[in-house]
Amino acid sequence: MTTKAAPAKATPAKAAPAKAATEEPRTIRELRLAHKERPRRRTKAASNPLRAGLRLERMPDAHVFVLFGATGDLCHRKVYPALYQLWRTDLLPHEWRLVAFGRRPFNDESFRADVRKALELYSRVKPEPARVEPFLERIDYHMGDFGEDAAFDRLAERLATCEREHGTLGNVVFYLATQSTAFPVVVAQLGRCGLDHEIHGGGWRRIVIEKPFGRDLDSAKRLNREVGKVFRESQVYRIDHYLGKETVRNLLVFRFGNGIFEPLWNRRYVDHVQITVAESLGVEGRGAFYEETGAVRDILQNHLLQLLTLVAMEPPATFDADALRDEKVKVLRAIGEPTREEVERDVVRGQYGPGWVEAKPVPGYREEPEIDPQSETETFVAARFEIDDWRWSGVPFYLRTGKRLPKRASEIAIQFRAVPHRLFRDTAADPEPNLLAIRVQPDEGILLRFGSKVPGLGLDIRTVTMDFTYGSAFSTDSPDAYETLILDAMLGDASLFTRADEVEAAWRIATPILESWESGPPPEFSNYAAGSWGPDEADALIERDGQHWRRI
Amino acid sequence: MDIDTTAPVTNLRWSSRAQTVGAIEAELSKIWASTKLTVEGEGGEERRVSARTSVLNLVIIARRPELGEHAASVITHLAGRHPSRTLIVSPADPDGPSWLDARIQAQCMLPRPDASETCIELIYLTVGGESGRHLNAVVAPLLVHDLPVTVWWPGDTPLGLPMTRDLFELADRVVIDGSSWSGDGLGRLAKLAELVEDERLDVVDLALLRQSRWREAIASVFDLPDLMPFVRSIRSISVFYASHEGAEANVVKPLYHVAWLQSRLGLVVEQPLRAVAEGGYRARLKARGHHVAVRLQPQESAWSAGTTLKVRLVAERNDRMLDVDVTADGEGVVVVAEPEGGPRIERRFLAHRRTDPDLIAETIETVGSDSISRAAIRGAAALAGATH
Repeated sequence: MTTKAAPAKATPAKAAPAKAATEEPRTIRELRLAHKERPRRRTKAASNPLRAGLRLERMPDAHVFVLFGATGDLCHRKVYPALYQLWRTDLLPHEWRLVAFGRRPFNDESFRADVRKALELYSRVKPEPARVEPFLERIDYHMGDFGEDAAFDRLAERLATCEREHGTLGNVVFYLATQSTAFPVVVAQLGRCGLDHEIHGGGWRRIVIEKPFGRDLDSAKRLNREVGKVFRESQVYRIDHYLGKETVRNLLVFRFGNGIFEPLWNRRYVDHVQITVAESLGVEGRGAFYEETGAVRDILQNHLLQLLTLVAMEPPATFDADALRDEKVKVLRAIGEPTREEVERDVVRGQYGPGWVEAKPVPGYREEPEIDPQSETETFVAARFEIDDWRWSGVPFYLRTGKRLPKRASEIAIQFRAVPHRLFRDTAADPEPNLLAIRVQPDEGILLRFGSKVPGLGLDIRTVTMDFTYGSAFSTDSPDAYETLILDAMLGDASLFTRADEVEAAWRIATPILESWESGPPPEFSNYAAGSWGPDEADALIERDGQHWRRI
Repeated sequence: MDIDTTAPVTNLRWSSRAQTVGAIEAELSKIWASTKLTVEGEGGEERRVSARTSVLNLVIIARRPELGEHAASVITHLAGRHPSRTLIVSPADPDGPSWLDARIQAQCMLPRPDASETCIELIYLTVGGESGRHLNAVVAPLLVHDLPVTVWWPGDTPLGLPMTRDLFELADRVVIDGSSWSGDGLGRLAKLAELVEDERLDVVDLALLRQSRWREAIASVFDLPDLMPFVRSIRSISVFYASHEGAEANVVKPLYHVAWLQSRLGLVVEQPLRAVAEGGYRARLKARGHHVAVRLQPQESAWSAGTTLKVRLVAERNDRMLDVDVTADGEGVVVVAEPEGGPRIERRFLAHRRTDPDLIAETIETVGSDSISRAAIRGAAALAGATH
């Protein structure tokens, strides 16, 4: 959104230290969520002198991993392969156990066979029998319904047995890979059985929640409240798998581990920033889900805004989870809630019609299975935001995401300003301003564009690139985002998970967009052909500022 | 990170010979301009392999042919992950005339089917006569400038010699393996400790690196809140190591366990190691207010001599004893902690024995100086002090 009017910032109330005004928790609940005043837990390294410098510091404590929604697609495609990979690389302790909680009628044996099949299909390394079997032996199937008290009572007994017989030390990760509607039910059941209680001197409890974290600000607050009734914020790990991607994690290293970029990373040198998350796929059998979701809820509110915060945040004072997340929240707060006028001016939505993608004809969104033929769900969104702070004031951030775009590509592009004095204006082609592009997927890497003289007698300038690709410098597979995030949750490192106040701050930006659309006239959909880069209005949005979207 | 030793190894894409440093440099520049450096792609069309990819210079000093062969095999397994210019240098015939013979190779591999081919340069250098005593003069012109230089010297490293010092001057990181030294290995520790005082140089002893799973297991005992206070009250440290009757065992690895604990807990060496008649070694450390008895105890075993079999710690605090046994067990390490009057705790740590490619990869990946290792090496040297 555009910068708020300057006079408003000069009022006496806001003239007080800006930091205090923006950071101070306003309610007891916020205070609790922000978790600022609590003494930080001492790290193992701080208390145990033998821990310092150990490479295997990343091995989690013995624990039970309780997986809700264990028979679902997400678990088969992502969670089991990630857990197996951690097991295969000796990153899980010997005493580790998995309790798979599901409704379908399996027993331990048949469920293990099901997981074995999932690993054969989805594991990124071919499962080796010698490694798979001990992994499967650690899986117990726990049949039950989320609404059934007895099932959770039995779960509590099972966890006690695990502790006694397998030495899991009372540590438990609860992983909710369920529909979001089930979250409050499961959390309440865990609370009813006292399974959230951390035992003094050992026995931690953590809960991992898969997105979506609500569908608007109110529902997000409600969900946080329900979870907060049972678990403390420090026990809650909200997964946005985008944050586990290697390139996204590298963004922090790139920005704060290199001295040469940070001095340029501000309004003085940066003209604008473009963040694109493009998908070539359509709804792929998830029509009913997508109808209820749309591009804003599916990508903008979480992935895109998360990428934006990582690009725009101030360097945290330390690299611990709360310091990092404090800085991210400040960015979201500095964007503020868009007004109706700002939504109309700075946000464009679209829905794809029939077209050609990857040399194949594809149907329009309204012709996809499970989709309302009159659907108003957006499959594309482009937005222009401004971050109203000292570093970024006046620098537009253009975000776009969509389905059925020409290719699958995610990228962050930092467009630097042109040189102040055009020394080479008489040459055939003026040098283009410098650009730094961080490719999140595919071909993960970083590209720097600059002008260079074409060899020869004249003074022709051509734009060239220095292109770093992960594939050439590190010819190895990166861990899957789920491996990274699940291991971090087991280790109690919340840096890459979203905090409650962060989720709500993101919804404060996304909700007014959705509300504005809901209360306005129906959109004229479809307005872009599958296989194109979105509606013409998206081009107009950026061209209004004299810029254009990067051709990816 | 495990290196997959079953992964496809490299294909030889270029091979040539040269007998002078200048000729080697000329051959190296030819490799990447050569039209021969192509590979047949799908459908039979020829495509050029990707350009040279180097992230480091790796210099390996192999004084015996088998060490050179082993090192070359390690490097080919690392090619995909850590492409390098590697020089495998073998000094030969020290008393003859000076000569040099080099085999220059480009080895390439496809790390993934969809990836570009990654190539490394391997230079096998045999250096005869006086030249073998000035390895730095041979190595320096062949390094890719601006890339970090790691020198790996397997086997007996002549620490302290001018030739070694000169070579290490070129390096950012030196990798040695104290457990491969001849004899009991203790004699070289003092020189190694001198080397780690050079802040410019990172020194990695693979013998110390290999034991990380043991350290993790030992540390885990004191993560338990009830047992944590005992860590400052250790009264004895015993390390049992494999020995074969009649043969002297290198005890650098067992000693490193003690040295690590000594350095982490701030213990002072009161009485350095001394060999004892019944076999093995004894030493004494001093903590605030109490002593810590140290014992390195040989035990007949099928494992190679000097391999750690068990670490036993005894601690006493407020008249309460704690016995900790950490024992090698196949592919893992088993920890048993028995606090007096408390429950017996048993944990097993899965940890595959790491191969040389794993260890070298870890060495390369670790950035910056490792103060924990430096302190452990200093401690080992202090403990070894009285025997030599």
